[in-house]
Amino acid sequence: MAADEQRLRVAVLGAGLIGVDLTDKIHQSQKLELALVAGHDRDSLGLRRAAEMGHPTTAGGIHAVLDAGPFDVVFDATNADSHAEHWAALRPTGTPLIDLTPTGHGTVIVPGVNSHGSAAHRHVNLVSCGGQAAIPILYAISEHCTPTYIEVVSTGASASAGRATRLNLDQYIATTSAAIRTFTGTRDVKVMVNLSPARPAPPFRVTMTVLAGSFRAAPVRTSIAAAAQAVRAYTPGFKVTSLAVDPGRISVAVEVTASGGRLPPHAGSVDIINAAAVLIAEQSRRREPHP
Amino acid sequence: MNTHPHERPRILVHDPTLRDGHHAVGHQLDADQLDADQLRAYATAANAAAVPVIEVGHGNGLGASSLQIGRSKLDDATMLTTVREALTSSRMGVFMAPGWGTSDDLEAAVHHGADIVRIAAHCTEADVTERHLGVVRDLGAEAQGVLLMSHMAGPGELAEQCALLVKFGAQAVGIMDSAGHYLPSGVTERVHAIADAVDVPVIFHGHNNLGLAVANSLAAVDAGASVIDATARGFGAGAGNTQLEVLVAVLERRGAETGIGLREVLAAADVAADRLMKAPPSIDSIAVASGLAGVFSGFKRPVLQTARTEGVDPIDLFLALGERQVVAGQEDLIGVVARHIKAAAR
Repeated sequence: MAADEQRLRVAVLGAGLIGVDLTDKIHQSQKLELALVAGHDRDSLGLRRAAEMGHPTTAGGIHAVLDAGPFDVVFDATNADSHAEHWAALRPTGTPLIDLTPTGHGTVIVPGVNSHGSAAHRHVNLVSCGGQAAIPILYAISEHCTPTYIEVVSTGASASAGRATRLNLDQYIATTSAAIRTFTGTRDVKVMVNLSPARPAPPFRVTMTVLAGSFRAAPVRTSIAAAAQAVRAYTPGFKVTSLAVDPGRISVAVEVTASGGRLPPHAGSVDIINAAAVLIAEQSRRREPHP
Repeated sequence: MNTHPHERPRILVHDPTLRDGHHAVGHQLDADQLDADQLRAYATAANAAAVPVIEVGHGNGLGASSLQIGRSKLDDATMLTTVREALTSSRMGVFMAPGWGTSDDLEAAVHHGADIVRIAAHCTEADVTERHLGVVRDLGAEAQGVLLMSHMAGPGELAEQCALLVKFGAQAVGIMDSAGHYLPSGVTERVHAIADAVDVPVIFHGHNNLGLAVANSLAAVDAGASVIDATARGFGAGAGNTQLEVLVAVLERRGAETGIGLREVLAAADVAADRLMKAPPSIDSIAVASGLAGVFSGFKRPVLQTARTEGVDPIDLFLALGERQVVAGQEDLIGVVARHIKAAAR
């Protein structure tokens, strides 16, 4: 078998809502082989599901990942506080780590915006689900104007937010704000998050408001449409649901409905960040075999 | 005849006039803005009336100033510093919902002299408060936990959520009738369930959309609540809150001790009427629709504005938002729902 037909061996750290769907998405990937799912609770739904699908599992966390390595890529789907420990443990092994927690450490990657060349980075951070939904649109807008203020409000269904997400709201806000500043060059950025208890659960929704001095409306609209099309290539449920381009102010709302897999439709937040993670992993290089 | 087991129960009145009232003036976006002098004048009067807690801030709390919810004229630090300076005996309270504000906002607020910090979550989302209640305790302030839009959950679920708030460190817990939707019986069963589930003081925060804020507050007291929110002249979101000076008078008749001077609190309410508002809140048709639909009272001004620009009936808009079960923070949906109504009418 030619080397380029071999799948990359990957491991997932974390068996919560994100980890479970990541397991599904990797399972479906033609380029990745899920060699280990590591959690902390042997009886957790995530580990049981991964085992049912035929993937090796462990309740031994990062230590089990180190013991079972080397891997071509490790995904961190735990929480921001644990991530530092995971990176510290993996760093000496040279294993690339794709961080789905909102730590903001590592190289921030958003597919379509700067994912080209992401394979060169050992430590990739995916910002947040809101960041993955908003940054492609905001980046497209900022190519046509100099925003003076950007505001992003994400609303997720209660059922789509697990314990780590809830504990990490501060980091989510800090990391998303910092990434938006970096990608748009705008200093004044406000990020807010709502969790909605409404039933039936609403789709993941991200509303962006950009204030900017002067710009031409038509190219802004064209670029937003192109950015949305690019995101749909890996997250089919992504769509712009409202767009108002007025003098000095651009308002865009996007919704992400999870499509395919076992995610319920409202879990678009999980869908978009995991789809980005798998896409980036698929672009990774195989590790050199150990001498 | 008083059949209540406690002859003179102690009720702690918590006054968010300078926080919830901001909703009534569009977070200070128009002519009747709250400025620092206004904050100082009311805080001084309420302090003189021995109102135990004066809460201040943006209508949606620390960190919530935004295009989505409404931008404040004064920043959080200015508001807190101004009120702190006016208080000699009353304690200062602040409010924060994780996701709108962050731990940095909490640290700044306690630094500026906040004694009581309320961490809020929508009614089924208590577990977003775990980190922030811990931060408040670590900062040495009193931590309270409140559930917003509480009519959307039943007594059992609210009791469980309040027990979680206590587990996370809340020293008082309770419910807000954010939409002004309750009837007294709904308050009674919920507060009973919560009081049975926790061993900390229980909080009730009413709104007056259906004219029941004082009655609901009394029902809460009778069911075991001992921290009641009320604002001067009812100044607050939508139809306004439980009216402070009326509550104090009613509790006095009811034989419940508040420690607040009636004459002084009436004077403070007059200061509020003179200095803070063009007209006291009233239960207009929109407020009734909002209360019936179970939509957050703070949506009133943005709903009226959107209804005007989109040319739809604001009452239809409120009822449609109620069907979508929108919660505070989802103001961006007001325009979306208005355009749906418009499209459906064509």
